[in-house]
This record gives sequence, structure tokens and C-alpha cells, in this order.
Amino acid sequence: MTFTLASSLEEALDAVAAGATPIAGGTDLVVAARGGRTPLPESLVAIDRIPGLDTVTTHEGGLRLGATVSHATIASHPDIVRYFAGLADGSALVGSPATRNVGTIGGNVMNASPAMDTGAPLVVLGASVELASVAGTRVVTVDDLWTAPGVTSASSDELCTAVLLPAQPENSASAYVRLEYRRAMEIAVVGAATRVVLDGDGAVTSVDLALTAVAPTILRVTALDVAGSSIAAAADAAREAASMQATPISDIRASDSYRRHTVGIMAGRAVEAAAGRAAGEQISVPVNRAFGIGAPA
Amino acid sequence: MLSVDISKFLRADGPDKVTGSGRYSADISLTGMAHAKFLYAGVASARITTLDTAAAKAIPGVFAVLTQADVPDIRFGSVADRYLFAKDVVRFEGEVVAAVAAVDADTAQRAVDAIVFEYDALPVVNDIEAALEPDAPLVHEDWESYSARRIVMDRNIASQTILTLGDADAALADADLVIEGRYIADASHAAPIEPRGVVAQWEGDKVTIWTSSQVPFQARDGVCETLELPTNRVRIIVPHLGGGFGGKCGFHYEAHIAALARAARRPVRLVFSRREEFLAPDRRREGMIVELTTGLRSDGTIAARKARILLDYGAYSSDATFFPHMAAMHALGPYKIDNVYAESSAVYTNRQPSGSVRAPTAPQACWALETHTDELAAAVGMDPVAFRRLNGVDTGASGVSGQVFDAIGLQECITLATEDVGYGDVLPGDEAIGVAIGWWPSFPGASGAYVKLDSDGKGVIVTGAQECGTGAVMTLPYLVANELGMQPEDFELVYQDTSAAPYDVGATGSQTLLNNGIATIEASYQIASRLREIAASMLEAEADDIVLENGHAHVDGSPDTAIPIARLARRANHTGMLIGKGARIAPPDPKTSISAIGDQGVSSFAGPQFSCHAVRVKLDRDTGVARVLAVSAAHDSGTIVNPIGAAGQVEGGVLMGIGQALTERTEYDDKGRQVNPALLDYKLQTFADAPPISVQFVEVFTPDMGPHGAKAIAEAPNVATAAAISNALGKLVGLPMRELPMTSERVWRAIQAVGS
Ligand SMILES: Cc1cc2nc3c(=O)[nH]c(=O)nc-3n(C[C@H](O)[C@H](O)[C@H](O)COP(=O)(O)OP(=O)(O)OC[C@H]3O[C@@H](n4cnc5c(N)ncnc54)[C@H](O)[C@@H]3O)c2cc1C
Repeated sequence: MTFTLASSLEEALDAVAAGATPIAGGTDLVVAARGGRTPLPESLVAIDRIPGLDTVTTHEGGLRLGATVSHATIASHPDIVRYFAGLADGSALVGSPATRNVGTIGGNVMNASPAMDTGAPLVVLGASVELASVAGTRVVTVDDLWTAPGVTSASSDELCTAVLLPAQPENSASAYVRLEYRRAMEIAVVGAATRVVLDGDGAVTSVDLALTAVAPTILRVTALDVAGSSIAAAADAAREAASMQATPISDIRASDSYRRHTVGIMAGRAVEAAAGRAAGEQISVPVNRAFGIGAPA
Repeated sequence: MLSVDISKFLRADGPDKVTGSGRYSADISLTGMAHAKFLYAGVASARITTLDTAAAKAIPGVFAVLTQADVPDIRFGSVADRYLFAKDVVRFEGEVVAAVAAVDADTAQRAVDAIVFEYDALPVVNDIEAALEPDAPLVHEDWESYSARRIVMDRNIASQTILTLGDADAALADADLVIEGRYIADASHAAPIEPRGVVAQWEGDKVTIWTSSQVPFQARDGVCETLELPTNRVRIIVPHLGGGFGGKCGFHYEAHIAALARAARRPVRLVFSRREEFLAPDRRREGMIVELTTGLRSDGTIAARKARILLDYGAYSSDATFFPHMAAMHALGPYKIDNVYAESSAVYTNRQPSGSVRAPTAPQACWALETHTDELAAAVGMDPVAFRRLNGVDTGASGVSGQVFDAIGLQECITLATEDVGYGDVLPGDEAIGVAIGWWPSFPGASGAYVKLDSDGKGVIVTGAQECGTGAVMTLPYLVANELGMQPEDFELVYQDTSAAPYDVGATGSQTLLNNGIATIEASYQIASRLREIAASMLEAEADDIVLENGHAHVDGSPDTAIPIARLARRANHTGMLIGKGARIAPPDPKTSISAIGDQGVSSFAGPQFSCHAVRVKLDRDTGVARVLAVSAAHDSGTIVNPIGAAGQVEGGVLMGIGQALTERTEYDDKGRQVNPALLDYKLQTFADAPPISVQFVEVFTPDMGPHGAKAIAEAPNVATAAAISNALGKLVGLPMRELPMTSERVWRAIQAVGS
């Protein structure tokens, strides 16, 4: 087994081109290996010390998050909390303080779990990822990235170098809520993220909605036409559409029927939280604590 | 109460544990040490057709491979129903079939994989009610040949107790109101933070075993029994123990590793993974079905109660033979009832054996009973707290076994807990307060200690007691210093070593401070009287007039002429030394008038502890997710010797109770295998979930029990929390809870059932 500690992006790209698997925080990769699910790869390249890969910068009116930006950074970064609150909501729920300090956005995105907590927020925010290889760089929307549980459309010689968050519409805000049985070290039973755009009068212009842990990949809810409706009506519509379009399974954590019901509840609450934020209400990150989903604030 | 200041209790083992310098079993590393891995059955019920270790033995770096054929052909366990390794059949998935010692863990695992293990599947007994059907397959075909002694066995019934007091049937027939309820609790786990480790090393014909055990003397006795060794050739040492909660009580793998080390001719170490910690040890909190029938008089008093209890015993007997009796006591409860009947049976299944986990059987049985009790109160139109006051036992009252209680504080506990939680306050519509009461015995028993003072006046306490994290052993220096007018820091502890110290039952049954505290105090008396004699001769006074205080001895009334204890100690070396010994002798059990068939000795509660837990719960009705906002716990555990330590036990017990109430359960598939042997899906509570827990003690001085009038404390706080949460949820949902844990989905389904 070989382990390369990359000190530059070029070095890391060379290593993945030669067949190495990247490791960032290791909170998915090492845990999966120790749990016996996936053996540790023969060749690893650590990317967590590459200078500059862990920075948040402005980019075309939005933000560019380097792949090794940690969940702890995302949950507390002023610009992310202000303009992309739904993503901060997601990162703030990941694991425990230790997991958030070590786990990265690149790792979360490339691990492609259907229960990942940044996935639904990234979908509703219209995010893309930057994939680099020795051959060059391309940008792929997150909708096109996740193809199956644990599978992405990136090829094995590609590194995720950044997550790109585009500028958001006026009068809009996002929120992510998840159902959890306890307040730390939890995995989403189900979750929902929304971005709500309001018009000048406080009615809804549009709602984007994506769901966690109810399908093989993060699920974008379609045909949610709520333009002109009240926030309450939009929340109702989101609730119904989420429960309708979800295709959950039954497992140790929940039955399919309970998931189908609760994902609707999460969707409705996410709409209310995002709309509140869009209207200028101060709803702290994460919404779960502010709203008391499974836990009062 | 103590003259020593224990208000800022400092644990002697604290710095080691906090800084990481402490050593646990898995940290032990010996020259030439080999690594052990087990081959497990992996199937719940099967007859072994092939077990061939030749290929495994041939792997380079493999030093030994053992099966039952390589160890003495001895059956052990409380009814002698098991062997060290599977013999002919396997009866649960975590049964050890073979063990390997190899140069490293990977090689050992490869050797395990190379063992040829083939079997014919047998029917799986996976349901305790189906197991009682006349045509049900038997988990133990040979049960009639087992050494049951005082244990009632019958086919798949591994142990049964029937309790009778008065005439329950007649009283039920006369009752104004009869209420029935059926309650089902899932199995759960102790889940200590440290997965266990065992290291064994032979020197000549003696073996030293370092092990994560709560009960080193029991572990030693298990090794002696199964490997046919006298006790003085087996030394068990427990390094720091990373928690136990009962999960490390009993005798587990010490003999396997000792046998491996002998065969491998070098030290051998076993370290469990979390998964093994879930699957293999014969320790699990048993699943339970409790059916209760209670007859009430129109004045709200209880006329009679009948209980039928089935417990999931698992595949083999560990220490769980007393569980049916204990469960029956908790299903009948700390109430004044003159007519009771309980039929309680532990049922063999092809699952991991059940064994003592903190307050064994009590949280589930108390949950069932106290849920039922709120139903009783509602049926007679009484407030549930008033109902408990009316029917709960008090000083001088006679309980369900006819035991008449000396001074006890249950009623005061009810007052304190309900006042503290704000019972009766107006709450938001999604909040409610639930209240439950519980009880648990103290277990006076054999326990020994030595104390010595060396010539510089510094002391050592050599105790058989085991520290499982509660701080009980760490309290001993305070007790000794208190007797000798010295400081706790003047004493070091030698503990958790069976060859150094006299016998103790171990960190089980909340008995450590209760019994070993008495033994150490007795040992210090002997030193105190020697110090007084020496001081008396130097000060030309009577020994009885010598006061030991502030590290000095002086004549009562003349504190100015004081001799340092260190000086007395120096002198003592030439005049017979300062060595004390103490041994706890248990008092007789309180009398009862109940009849018990299959009596396992727990109709009588010595030093009975009482508690009332009151909880404020918030329910998200859209999802069924419940959250405990506040807990008020009031306990009568007699005199509280160590307030910080005792409060810590209550806080921990409550938090464990919240987990049992809401999130902790072990689920089985239809083949008898655990579905969630991992901490992601076996959901313990985390610190982020912990509500404020307010702890109050009703200090009733209790004679002839623990030191200074104490009763036990460690298990009692784990009894009533789940029950109190159940009653809060019952109010919020509008239906009594019937399944434990009360998971969000179950609560949500109950809400749906009320709605439709
Ligand atoms: C205790 C615990 C709790 C957790 N709780 C949560 C939770 O609540 N919500 C949640 O969503 N997740 C949770 N996780 C999962 C995990 O922490 C996150 O997914 C985290 O973001 C992974 O990041 P990482 O840097 O540790 O990834 P790693 O483990 O280093 O990598 C994960 C995968 O992505 C690949 N990879 C990493 N970086 C790149 C890159 N730049 N380019 C290409 N491939 C890459 C790796 O090869 C690997 O396959 C938890 C994990 C643990 C251990």
C-alpha cells in the first residue's frame, strides 16, 4: 500500500492519474474501511494539505468553495450563512464537532451518499463542481454528478477541486432540515432543502426543492408550480410533492411509509424557514435547532 | 458527615483517564505477543458437520488454533449448559467456534478464514412466545441433564419463578375495577465505550490475565473451572476499565486466551471490535413481554395484581437465572398490595445470551408497570401522582412480598421530584410531564480489603474491589482517611488484582462501596487502634483518649501536644507494623411472607432503594420525535457518602434511561441475527441530547447496610426514567405506550391510531 501526501494540486492529479484514491478528511473512507464495507485502497493520496484548496473565494458573483473546505468552516462562514444558509444548515448537522472539523465538502460530494447532508442544499442552490485531471478541468452540475448510491459521473483520474455556488436571485433564501433521532452523530432519516424566491409583496415566485435519503440519489422534486401562492400554500404544495415523489426504502432507521410522510413534513418546514429568511427573518443555522425538528432550539 | 472534605471529590484515576496516560487492556503489549481472532458461528442455530483447522494451522505465522477438542471437556454456566467453544451445535450467531493466535491480527484473521467450518442449519428459535408452543424446537435438546439445582427448567423455559402472596384470583373477582395491559420491550445493550481486551501470559504453570472485566474474581473462577486450575495459579489484573454497565460482568474470554497463550507458547492478546462487542458476549439486556392485570377498589387502592412475564434468555445461561424473579418484583412494584401472583419465565432462544446489564430487568419491567399505573389512575379518575402516593409503600408498610419496610423515603422522593419538575404547571400543548417510581435492592455481600501504613506514614489500600468507572473504589481513600485523621492523598490504591487482594464480588449489583467501604473502614479501625496504642505510650495516656486528627495524634483535650502520624508509623515498624484487614459479612435478609417456586433469592430487598423520576417531554406530533426537556430525579439511597459520585450515578442512569426510552434497541432478523450491531444504528444518547438533570437525595440513615448508613446507588437511577417518559408520551399521544423503546416511528404510529 502506498500513501502520498500531496503538497500541490499537480502532485495530487499525477497521483490520481496513476491510480491513487484521494483522501481528504477520511471520515467516510477510513470509517468505511474499518467497518469492513470497502477495503482501504492500495494507493492513497492525501489532499488535505494542498495549499489553497481549503479556501472560500468569490466567484462570478457567487462563491467558490475549495474541495477541502471543512463543514465547520461552511457552518460558520459569514457569506455562506448569509447567502447560502441552506448549505450552512446542512454542514452544521454533520456528525459531531470533530467530524465537522475534519470532514470536507469535497469528500461529502464525491462520496455521493443519498443521505449526505450537503446534497439537497447544493441542488436547490444550483451548485456545480469543478473536476480536474491531468488532462484539464470541467464543470458539472451536482444534478449531473450523482448517478447512483456512492457513484458519481467523475472518472477515477478526476479530482474535485471546488464546489461552485452561483449568485442567488433577489428576495431568495434557502434552508435545509432533516429528521433526526438524536442531536449529534446522526444520519439523516430523511431531509429536505429548499430555495424560495419571493416577490416584492411576500408571495412566492418559485420554490426549488430537493430531498435527502428517499431515493438512490439526492432527489430533485419536479413540477412544483407555486408561483403567486402564499407561503403557507407553497409549504403545503411542497409537503405533498415531496411525499408523492419520494421513493423511500424500509430499513433499520425507518419504514418507507414513515419516510414518505416525514419527508413531506421536512419539505414543508424547509419552505417555511427559507421563506422566513427570504423575508428577512433571522433564523439561525441550523434550522433544525431553531425550529426544533426532533429537538427544540 | 465525614470529617474529611469530600465535597470536592477528586478521583485518583482522573488524571490518567483525562490525559490519556491511563492504560487499558488493549494497551498492554508484551514481548513476543501474538494476536487472537475468533471464528464465530455466524448462524443462529446449526449442527456442525465439519470443523477442520489444518489449513489454518499451516499458514506461516499462525501459532495456535483451538477448538473445543483442545480444551477440557467441561460444561459451565449457572446450569452448566455451555462449553468454551461450540461443541457439535451452535446456538447463537456470536458463539465462538475456534480461536487463532498468530503473529499479527491480519494473519490471525486469514487463519480464521481458512478454517473449514460446515454445518447443517437447524430451526431457529427466535420468538419467546412461539418457543413455548408444545411442538417448538428445543434450543437445548439435553436440558433435562443440566444441573438446574434450585432453578425450575422446562423444555425452552430456562428459569421460572412463580410468586404468590394472598389470593390474587379471589381479590380480582371482588375488585371494583380490573385493568389489563400488555407491554413489549425490545432487547438492548450495555454498550460500554471500551470494546474489551484480554491478554494472557504464562510463566511456568501460572497464568496472568489482563482483562476488561468488571468482576475479576468471577473471571478467575471461570478460568479455574474451565481449564481445571487452582485459584492460586490464575492471576487476573484489570487495567483501567473503560466502562461496563454490566456488559463486562461474568466470565467471558479469559479462558480462551489463556488456553491460546499456552498452546502458542507466548503471550496472546485479544481486542474486540465494536461489532464483536455487540454480537458475542453473553451480556445483553433481554427483551421482555409483560402482561399485567390489576384489581382496584373504588377508593383507588390496589386490591390485587397478577403478572405474566416472558424474558428472552438467549442461547445460554450466564447470570440471568434470577431475572424472572427480579422482573416479577419490578412488575409488581413498590406498592402496598396484599394479593399478588406472578408467573415469570426466561425463555431460551437462538440469540445472544442475556445477562446483567445495569439494574437487570428493572427498566423494562418498571416501564411496563408504571405505564400501567397511569392507566389505573385514569380508570379510577385519580391524578397519577396522587395514585402513587396512595398506593406506594412507606415506612412501616408491607410491600408486594410481605416485606415490612423500616425507615424509607419513597413518599419524600415523590414530593421532591414532582415539585422540582413543576408538576401541575400549565405547559404548552406539545409538552407534558410524566412521573414514575421505582425501586431496587442493595446487595450486601462478601468483600475484603487490607490497609497498611508504611514507615513514612503513607498508606496503601489493597482492595479486591473493582472500579468500573463509578468512582466507588476512588471513594475508599476518603473513608480510610476519615478514620485515621489523615488526607485521601496519603493513600494509594492497589486494586483489580486477584492475587494481591482478598475477594470481592466485583463491580456488579451496585455493591462496591456498600461492601468494600465496610471492609476498608474495618481495616482502618485496626490501624487506628494500633496508632492510638503507640501514641498512648508516647504521651503516657490511655489509648481510648487519643484523637487522630490532621495527620497527628493527641490526647483528647490537649491538641497542642500532637505527634505526627508519620512518627508513630516509624515507631510501629519495630512494634508489629500497621496492617489492617477487613471483610464484609452480610446481614440476614429482611423477612418476607411470599411463596416463591423457583426462588432466586430476590423476594427480599435488603437496603431497598426508592426513586421518583419526573420528566418534561416535548413531542413533535408531525413526526413522533420526542425530546426530554428536563428530568428531576429524587432518590432514597440512604446516607449519601460521596455527593459528587452519587449525583454522577443518577445523571448517568437517567441519560441511559432516556436512551432506553427513545432510541436504544437491538433488532433481529428472521434468522436470529442482530441487524444493528454498530453505534450508528444502535443509537445511544449523546451529550448534545442530554437535558438538564436535577438530582435530589432523601437521606434516610440505613443501619447495617453500607458505610455511614448508606445504601447502594449505581443501578437505581437506571430504573424509572423510561417509565416516566412513557407516561409523558401517553399524555401527549392520548394512548398508553405499549412498546419499548418508544421510537419516533412507533410514537407517530400511535398518534395515527388515535387520529383514525
Ligand atoms: C461520525 C461521523 C458522522 C457523520 N455524520 C455525517 C452527517 O451527519 N451528514 C453527512 O452528510 N455526512 C456525515 N458523515 C460522513 C462524512 O463525514 C462526510 O461525508 C464528509 O464530508 C466526508 O468528507 P471527508 O473529507 O472526510 O471525505 P473522505 O473520507 O476523505 O473521502 C470520501 C470519499 O470522497 C473521495 N474524495 C474526497 N475528496 C475528494 C476530492 N476532492 N475529489 C475526488 N474525490 C474525493 C474519497 O476518495 C472517498 O471516496 C459522518 C461521518 C462520521 C465518521
